[in-house]
Amino acid sequence: MVGIAMSGLGWRVVFRQGNVLKSVVLALLVALIVLPLLRTALFTLQPETIAAWTDVLASRLSRNLFYRPLANTLLIGAIVASSCVLIGGFLAWLVVMTDVPYRRTIGVMATLPFMIPSFAAALAWGTLFRNDRLGGQVGVLQGSGLDIPDWLAWGMVPTLVVLTLHYFSLAFTIIAAALATVNSDLIEAAQIAGAKSRKILLGIVLPVTTPALVAAGSLCFAGAVSNFATPALLGLPVRMQTLSTRLFGMIEVGQTARGYVIGVLLVLISAVFLWAGNRVVSGRRSYATITGKGGRAKRFNLRGARWPLFAAALAILTAATIVPVLVLLASSFAPSSAELFANWTTHYWFGTSNPAIAQGTPGIVHNPDILRALIVTLSLGISVAFTGMFVGLLAAYVVARYRHGALSAAITQVAFLPLLVPGIAFGAAYIVYLGAPIGPFPALYGTFALLVIAATAYLLPFAVQTGRAVIQQVSGELEESARITGASLARRLAQITVPLAVRGLAAGGLLIFVKIIRDLSLVVLLFTPTMPVLSVLAYRYASEGFGQFANAITVIILTISLAATLFASRLQAKSQPWLNRG
Amino acid sequence: MRKLNVACASLLIALFGGPALADGHLNKMMPDELLPLAEAEGTVTVYSFTSRIGKVEAAFEEAYPNIDLQGFDISSTEQIARLKAEAQAGITNADVVYISDTPVVLTELLEAGIIVPYVAPRIADRVPEQYKSPLLAQRLSTKVLMYNEEANPAGAPVSNLWALTTEDWKGRVIIVDPLQRGDYLDLMTEIVLQSDAMAAAYKDHFGAEIDLGSAANAGEKFIADLFANDVVLVSSTDDVNAAVGKLGQENPPVGFTSYSDRRDNEEEGWALQVANDVKPAPGIIFPAVVALAEGAQNPAAARLVIDFLMGDESETGGPGLAPFYVAGDYVTRTDIPPHPDAVPLDEFTAWRIQPAETANARAAVGDLVLTLQ
Repeated sequence: MVGIAMSGLGWRVVFRQGNVLKSVVLALLVALIVLPLLRTALFTLQPETIAAWTDVLASRLSRNLFYRPLANTLLIGAIVASSCVLIGGFLAWLVVMTDVPYRRTIGVMATLPFMIPSFAAALAWGTLFRNDRLGGQVGVLQGSGLDIPDWLAWGMVPTLVVLTLHYFSLAFTIIAAALATVNSDLIEAAQIAGAKSRKILLGIVLPVTTPALVAAGSLCFAGAVSNFATPALLGLPVRMQTLSTRLFGMIEVGQTARGYVIGVLLVLISAVFLWAGNRVVSGRRSYATITGKGGRAKRFNLRGARWPLFAAALAILTAATIVPVLVLLASSFAPSSAELFANWTTHYWFGTSNPAIAQGTPGIVHNPDILRALIVTLSLGISVAFTGMFVGLLAAYVVARYRHGALSAAITQVAFLPLLVPGIAFGAAYIVYLGAPIGPFPALYGTFALLVIAATAYLLPFAVQTGRAVIQQVSGELEESARITGASLARRLAQITVPLAVRGLAAGGLLIFVKIIRDLSLVVLLFTPTMPVLSVLAYRYASEGFGQFANAITVIILTISLAATLFASRLQAKSQPWLNRG
Repeated sequence: MRKLNVACASLLIALFGGPALADGHLNKMMPDELLPLAEAEGTVTVYSFTSRIGKVEAAFEEAYPNIDLQGFDISSTEQIARLKAEAQAGITNADVVYISDTPVVLTELLEAGIIVPYVAPRIADRVPEQYKSPLLAQRLSTKVLMYNEEANPAGAPVSNLWALTTEDWKGRVIIVDPLQRGDYLDLMTEIVLQSDAMAAAYKDHFGAEIDLGSAANAGEKFIADLFANDVVLVSSTDDVNAAVGKLGQENPPVGFTSYSDRRDNEEEGWALQVANDVKPAPGIIFPAVVALAEGAQNPAAARLVIDFLMGDESETGGPGLAPFYVAGDYVTRTDIPPHPDAVPLDEFTAWRIQPAETANARAAVGDLVLTLQ
């Protein structure tokens, strides 16, 4: 469609304009994402560090240092991504296209797991399933007399379950947004022609939403591959390593060159996968599914399957949201994690300093560090939501409107790079990049600005992805009409694209806000004592064995995330047809 | 008020001969001379590898109410990464660095000029020379084999490290991943450096000369056998403590952890005890050092904190030393009596690490551990 517009309206002008815009966007992305990674890569090529490449790839160490973690990483990525698309797609279909009971509740609950930090979910898993492999405290189930085998307590299976239950809501958000914009004309036409529901699903809905499915799959793959906290907490006791735990370990013990080599390889491998995914999407014809006309189709009637399907959705959502939240909440009151519901005390929330408990750490309402961290965290979340969506919208718009050419492909690839860089590596790269003064610019180490810039770059894929999913579906003909009447690019963006895409943008801003306030891996190195954030405080308390404080802070993070989501969904209420109509 | 204080401090520093000479002069000052300067600075930031800094903070602010001590609990490995990054950025956040992991600290922080040594003059004559140079050691800490004394009332269930490589202890030895915590890599390194002792202990235990197989020495052979015997890796010492020490276990594992964590037995419901008689040694003992950050923004208050951390003139060192005057920590001051509940230092059989030698061998041992995982 864009192609036709170009040839019809003097494509040279458009082409040139597109190229200028594309170059600006690309330059911005390069400065935010490529340069820090490049500096990291160059670091590994110095004479004193280059041997690390041989160590990692072809030495007696390689098998444990790289190849086995690589196999684990890819297995986790593949299984988590496909499970997430299945579960997220199933729930999105139920909520958006069927008459399943309590659709609104399912829709809200399906976005919640993403707000629970994955390290909290992993800790909750341990509280329930931990067996006696480590001796000491056992989980609730083992404590109640069940014999939990190692494979269920530690390693690959729990990692897969925890990560799937964490990331499926990301797939849900993306697929639901795409399903909600499926053109009702198409479905009505099929219904009039007498097509069965199954036929409509497989013949129309599925093909039209394939880009969203692939996008959701790639995001979940990338998230699972670079997740650090879950495999670190659940994998270590059975010596299961992934590339990100390996990278973390290497940097922790000061073998930074090897760590960065693994980081570079992780980026390269991931880039190959993303490139392949991108090919699948861009190789297809595009579907403009939001047009200037058209209403909503009738919902699929599930008939007798309504309640069974509702029960299935409820079971998944309970396991992913209510159970971990209850466990966290209970353990913020329980002195012993083995007896979650015994001897409750409010000391960890409201107590004043008592030398006998947790080295005299006061309850969190009396703790000035936590108040400061709360302010920094909220400011960070809001700033990054705005900067992220601004850059994300620009990139998404450019890629969607001028999708052909090497520059657009480069923008897409670059915007998605940070997904495959483990947060800790990205944080380390940013310390190398902006930690020292560059020319007239001062060093940003320890400043709020560094947190904002690094977080913006790190979360850009989410901004671009959500922006793109919606913008791509805003019919080109609307914008063409405006262009014919002489509207400028800024005006077209402000008056047509942004209003129509506002749901996607708000969803993107929300994703970013929630992601950054509960992110641990990126900020754990960028954190300085003068610029504390909640998640790092929680992690520190957890690693000192003050699990109750960690869980209490996690409950605060959850509450903020929940409030943000509810607030955003109120704002969006008018533009959520899948919840309000039919 | 704050500005006035800073102005006063500047004036005082000017009177004492300008910044270049000030540091040298500060190094000779007694606490009562440091105090007015420190109060003018008003605040001081401490990076500490132990959470006990929280107790130090409270005690320090009670002793010196006009100085705000900001204590941050940051593991040694992370402090090293952070201090290097801060130095590269030209920023000095910390004033005082309280850290273990000396093999890395000496090369990457001290030699690189990121931290500078300081020996508080008040106690200088009461600390042995070996603990004053190259950095002032406040106390000695440990990573040693601990067992559950509730389940083993007759004493340690193992008498020789080599027992840990036998079927009895398969999957029942807990350590922190040596590739994630420097202290544990130091422990593995020491086992390799003590290969002769390990070979002798092997003969003691099995009654035959050791067959090294493909290992280079007895220490490496031990580490390989330990890993082959399904040693359980965890991510923090508290995980080891809970696993080994938790009360009410029938057949608890053993693990390498800090002797001084025994202090938390009552509070946490543990029964940790050191296996001091294990052959050839239960583990390592290593210094915890205090130093100034190069270019510290609050130089007088920083020195006052170090002076405070070394303990006062009362019998057991007073509030500054109280958090560290526990069984399992060995204070370096010669005039402080050993803790009554601990194995006396001269009877404590753990190996004393030599930071320089450990630093040399560390990377190779790390590689060995890596191939075994």
